[in-house]
Amino acid sequence: MMRRLPTRRLFAALAVAAIAISPGHAGNALRGRGEAVPIAGSNLTITPGRDWNSLGVSPGKMVEVWTLDGEDLNAVTFYAGIEAEMPLVREISKKRLPLPKFRRQTLLADIPELLEGTYRARRMIATFHVTGATPESFLGHDGIRFTFDYVEEDELPRRGEARATIIDGRLYMATFAGPRLYYYDRSLPDFHALVEAARLR
Amino acid sequence: MLRGKTILLLRPTIRVGAQSTGGMFEANGTWTEEARRNIAVALANVQERLDNRVVAAPEAYGDANRLAEEYGSLFAAVSASVVNYQFFKGNRLPTKKRDNKADVFDWSVGPGVADLPGARDADFALFIYDYDAYGSTGRKLLQVVAMLGPRIAISSGVHTGYAGLVDLKTGDLLWLNADTHMGGDVRTPDGAEKRVRELLQGFPGSKPDPDTAPAR
Repeated sequence: MMRRLPTRRLFAALAVAAIAISPGHAGNALRGRGEAVPIAGSNLTITPGRDWNSLGVSPGKMVEVWTLDGEDLNAVTFYAGIEAEMPLVREISKKRLPLPKFRRQTLLADIPELLEGTYRARRMIATFHVTGATPESFLGHDGIRFTFDYVEEDELPRRGEARATIIDGRLYMATFAGPRLYYYDRSLPDFHALVEAARLR
Repeated sequence: MLRGKTILLLRPTIRVGAQSTGGMFEANGTWTEEARRNIAVALANVQERLDNRVVAAPEAYGDANRLAEEYGSLFAAVSASVVNYQFFKGNRLPTKKRDNKADVFDWSVGPGVADLPGARDADFALFIYDYDAYGSTGRKLLQVVAMLGPRIAISSGVHTGYAGLVDLKTGDLLWLNADTHMGGDVRTPDGAEKRVRELLQGFPGSKPDPDTAPAR
């Protein structure tokens, strides 16, 4: 059976536009199996059990996104030590689209709401449900594990799972999200393996 | 290649609306219905050029209809990833570069596609996705201002189309035609004809388009 693409119709304009909107785009990087790598230059390191891709464009200074097939299909997002009074990701407009902040008084139990508020504001989505939450350690510290469902503008229902902890006043979190059809279940074990492979230097 | 095989033509996913001054998509029900009607007629006209047995997916209701719509959205998301990370060489994912060198095309919507209404009686599914955001007057004015003033590139209007052939046993994407600058105004019958011709250009086993085939 044919497995290749006979027709390719991508216009050069797309490439030009994509480069134009992402100044400083460093390209996507391989995160090779068995190689320990720091996340966003922080003290959080991951030694992946399989090859992953780290996207060249990041939504925040302390954030790194890994994927196997593209962020719309499977996205692992690492938040590597978010400081107090900061949003999880970069604010596009502090006045028009303010994002919720990680506060000094934020508790582990508040983190699902922080992520929900961030998704709703940054991705401008109306449907987001936290479907479960339970205490579970992360990076060797007390933490929380929670799951969620959401629908973005593309009308494709997605599922997610997150693990988070607070260490020395900083938030460390890893989330995984993908379409509930096929992609979420297929790569969830790979996300769990990354969580197990996460360490603080 | 597909001779003797049956292709299930799924109900196209069609989203038509306006692009606001701020660039947001605002759905327009009337335009979407017009586009749906026009594209259905255009697809019926073009089927005779496809050198296969093409059957339309049966009407689905309730959960079956929701599943079909969800697969339409998943197909669009997979297609967008193919465009971003395989067609656009400067943005390829390192884990897929080896695939590119070996000319492997490894993208899928998953084997659950076999549960779609009508899938048991066919070998392949043809997905069609159409997204049109027509620039509003405000957006067009903003584009003009940007051209005359600050050196900022403002686009007005988004016209994206994907047509893909999927193996109904595995969910593997076998052929994809993707275009982010499609021609033809799908709100008109002629425009929809043009759009569908573009979408199915190069479809495996299709006969030459008499309107676009070079003269001998």
